[in-house]
Amino acid sequence: MTFWKIAALNVAVSLSATAAWAETEITLWHAMGGQLGETVNKIAEDFNASQDEYKITPVFKGSYEETLTAGIAAFRAGEQPNIMQVFDAGAATVIGAKGATVPVQDLLTQNGVDFDINNYISGVRYFYADADGKMIGMPFNSSSPIMYYNVDALKKAGVEAPKTWEEFQSVTAPALKDAGYIALAQSHLPWIFTENFMSRHNLPFATNNNGYDGAEGTQILVNTDALKAHFTAMTEWKDQGFFEWYGTGWDDNQKAFDQGDVAIWLGSSGSFGGLMSKDLGFEFSATYLPYWESVTKEPTQTFIGGASLFAMAGHDAAENEATAKFFEYLTSADVQYYWHKETGYVPITEAAYELAKSDGHYDRFPAAEVGIQQLSLPGGENTKGYRMGFYVQIRDVMNREYGRILTGETSVEDAFNAIEKEANDLLARFAKTQG
Amino acid sequence: MADLTQAGAVARPLTRPRKRIRWNRIVDHAVLITGSLFMVFPVFMVLTTISFEDVDIVQKGLQIGLEGRMAENFHDAMFEASGFTKTITGTRMLMNSLILGFGFAIGKIVISMMAAYAIVYFRLRFATFAFWIIFTTLLLPLEVRILPSYEAIQSLGLANTYTGLIVPLIASATGTFFFRQFFRSIPEELVEAARIDGAGPVKFFIDILVPLSRTMIAAIFIIMFVYGWNQYLWPTLITTDEGMFTLVRGIKQIVQVLSQTGAKIPEYGKALALSMIAMIPPVLIVIFFQSWFVKGLTESDK
Amino acid sequence: MKRAGFTTVWLPIALLLPQLMIIAIFFYWPAAWAVQSSFYLQDPFGFGSTFVGVENYTDLLGNVEYGKVARFTLIYTVLVTFFSLALALLLAVKADAVISGAKTYRTLLMWVYAIAPPVAGFIGLMFFDQRNGPLTQMFQAFGWDFRLGADYTSTATAMVVVAVWKQIPVNFIFFLSGLQSIPKSVREAALIDNRSATGRFWDVTFPLLAPTAFFLLIINITYALFDTFGIVDTLVRSEPGNNPVTLVYKVFVDGFRGNDLGGSSAQSVLLMLLVLVLTVFQFRLIERRIHYT
Repeated sequence: MTFWKIAALNVAVSLSATAAWAETEITLWHAMGGQLGETVNKIAEDFNASQDEYKITPVFKGSYEETLTAGIAAFRAGEQPNIMQVFDAGAATVIGAKGATVPVQDLLTQNGVDFDINNYISGVRYFYADADGKMIGMPFNSSSPIMYYNVDALKKAGVEAPKTWEEFQSVTAPALKDAGYIALAQSHLPWIFTENFMSRHNLPFATNNNGYDGAEGTQILVNTDALKAHFTAMTEWKDQGFFEWYGTGWDDNQKAFDQGDVAIWLGSSGSFGGLMSKDLGFEFSATYLPYWESVTKEPTQTFIGGASLFAMAGHDAAENEATAKFFEYLTSADVQYYWHKETGYVPITEAAYELAKSDGHYDRFPAAEVGIQQLSLPGGENTKGYRMGFYVQIRDVMNREYGRILTGETSVEDAFNAIEKEANDLLARFAKTQG
Repeated sequence: MADLTQAGAVARPLTRPRKRIRWNRIVDHAVLITGSLFMVFPVFMVLTTISFEDVDIVQKGLQIGLEGRMAENFHDAMFEASGFTKTITGTRMLMNSLILGFGFAIGKIVISMMAAYAIVYFRLRFATFAFWIIFTTLLLPLEVRILPSYEAIQSLGLANTYTGLIVPLIASATGTFFFRQFFRSIPEELVEAARIDGAGPVKFFIDILVPLSRTMIAAIFIIMFVYGWNQYLWPTLITTDEGMFTLVRGIKQIVQVLSQTGAKIPEYGKALALSMIAMIPPVLIVIFFQSWFVKGLTESDK
Repeated sequence: MKRAGFTTVWLPIALLLPQLMIIAIFFYWPAAWAVQSSFYLQDPFGFGSTFVGVENYTDLLGNVEYGKVARFTLIYTVLVTFFSLALALLLAVKADAVISGAKTYRTLLMWVYAIAPPVAGFIGLMFFDQRNGPLTQMFQAFGWDFRLGADYTSTATAMVVVAVWKQIPVNFIFFLSGLQSIPKSVREAALIDNRSATGRFWDVTFPLLAPTAFFLLIINITYALFDTFGIVDTLVRSEPGNNPVTLVYKVFVDGFRGNDLGGSSAQSVLLMLLVLVLTVFQFRLIERRIHYT
């Protein structure tokens, strides 16, 4: 159907002719709704106001999954935005498609912006990098799962926030139950209790160097004793009234904490801003994600969650320059600190972290530092990140099977067999798409 | 088929034992009242909830009663601008929904009337073939072929245009069928008479067929308007420009934001008010043009 | 076609052209694309693709989960169809029987037709909310630990209730108009022959309504299969998890959320075949009746 192409060309020509005199306009597609979206808008407005050569327009495209799909569909049709926000689970899809994006490291150096990967805090450096350590996506809203707790509840029960899961099940949870609380809830089982379970305990998550060495032959490593023991423990906690699960929806689980039914909630460091603004009826604080002492004595850092910004390929030099300048602005210490303060997402550069410290942000809100501290814990060979294709679907499979475990529809053993099989099938299928 | 509007006038047998009638009547009314409540009550409860503060709605859910926030929530839903470009307001979305509803209904009627006319009134060798080509489109709902449809729209440069929003939705045969059925029910003598009078095909179509189809057009217009207004998957994909959002798409977005990570106190009042605004125009049309609507829905039943 | 028609050649072609063009671009091309890509595994961005023959289909048919989704879709379709037809029939019979207030009842029972599925889903979300939904509280008062989003059966129940609520008006309108088209003489004759109202209904009225009911059966099956998409999506909040989903929703999830174009296309093709069977069935059984949309 070549007549479309001709029609499309005509439209493109007439569009570029009118745009030639104006400032260089670029677009950013993102998935930040509500207050987060307002903060993104504010940053974009400030960038536009700070100079008059470039103008960025952010567009909210719905959930992370919808943003990714819209971006892909647009790319196939040659209408891609300049910048697309891609979440952790979609990273393999985007990075695997060489030629879809301009590696952010190349983009910045080509446009005269200083780039040194060591300026970024250690936890975010390599998650969106390729196997050689070249940064492909700009880690933007980086978060990590941390443990929030209701200070009043813990005081009432006479316990401290648990450091290990052993401590939780023998000391913390029974005391909290006696004090009339459900001890624990969490908001994202695949992210918190699978991906970050691996990084916290420095366990391999997939073969082929966690998938970084290529899609061919990569297999998932979830059907392990450590992880199965964890889920078995969870079902026991649930039976004992130590733990409750309110479904796959993030908010259903967080609400139980907000309303004071649940004393400890595992959520995102990016939830901090929201919790602060909600005026909860109790004091809350946060600390590191617990670990199993029986698995490791030296717990390691967690993966970054959240999302990163990818510069899409197929735009002219002027637009790429504008994108580079926007990235430069975005990673400046002031902007990162503002973003960190407003939302709770971690500052991605050392400079911004230092600024937050010297400004006394963590003296005022000690809990705000937990995410970045946890990301800065000692790393291990398995904590750099993971790269698996069709990972959005793999997460859906996990969510489904975990839900079945917790509603008693299936056993831990069967569930993990199912996850392993389906995930490996998906990985094999993904490897073929790359052929 | 009897016209529904005459329902009340259908004669009832007069002789029945008195006592029985009473009991039957009471049961009849009880069933109907229960049914009506089942249909009306949920929306009523949403309406009263809009008068409450967001904090109350978050904590206690749907409420019955009247607090003072009603006007404010409706006002915010209609006029409070959001989005980067500050162009998303209820009014703007209402306008886009109206354009979608009217554009789709009118486009569909015009295009399918033309096609049906060609199929029914012309000796065309490939008329049956054309009919089957059009007919097959019933096989595949838009949800299933949405990605390639999107690529087609993008290659035509029609993303973020009303044309791109409306035209792909027209690509199904329902309207053509409807008019084909209707044209075939019109006496053949009419064409003969027109031909004897020397009327050409264009004149016959405009002067005779279109006026004859007036009620049909009105009926199908209502159904198509409601169908177009209520679309949401396609508008979600095809409109990236905030100024192009429709109400139903806006509501999907709001439901998403309500359950997003780390949101502030979600604006339930505003969201519910917006969903109310999204239902008012199609509901009013269905209620006020009830007889046409019923006719449109059931006419193909002949 | 026996109709005496005009013989001009260019005019009908010109008249058909807009419709045929739209259909070619927005229907045939996408459909062909779906069939073609169901034989490939494709990189989402369109860079690489591998021809895999029927592997997408065999993967699908060998997948236990796909079977479960198909089974749920079947049960869901049966429940939605049955309840929306049964309730609508009951209401239509009663609305046909009363004289006073008939018009008001009719309006109250049909206006929900105009509500968009996502809006209906949103209202459902509020009513079935885990913490404070009125219906959740009612179920809990009866001892059922109802949890939308966490418990499979609860979510399935909510989906059925909302889908039935949204579909009753259409069925009601058709049944009522079917009832009112029954000639007065038939009604009177029945009244003499059969004294019991229930007996009269099953012996006389119901058989006369059978064509309408058959026609509605197809409409309702199509509705449950495809048009409830917005309801399902809103109720699971786009995160299926361990909740039940329908076949169409799975096409959407795999293709749109997971970017597995080949697998999703193969599912589309299977659905096309299903609709084809339904349509043939519909045409053979009840000629010349059409579902709008």
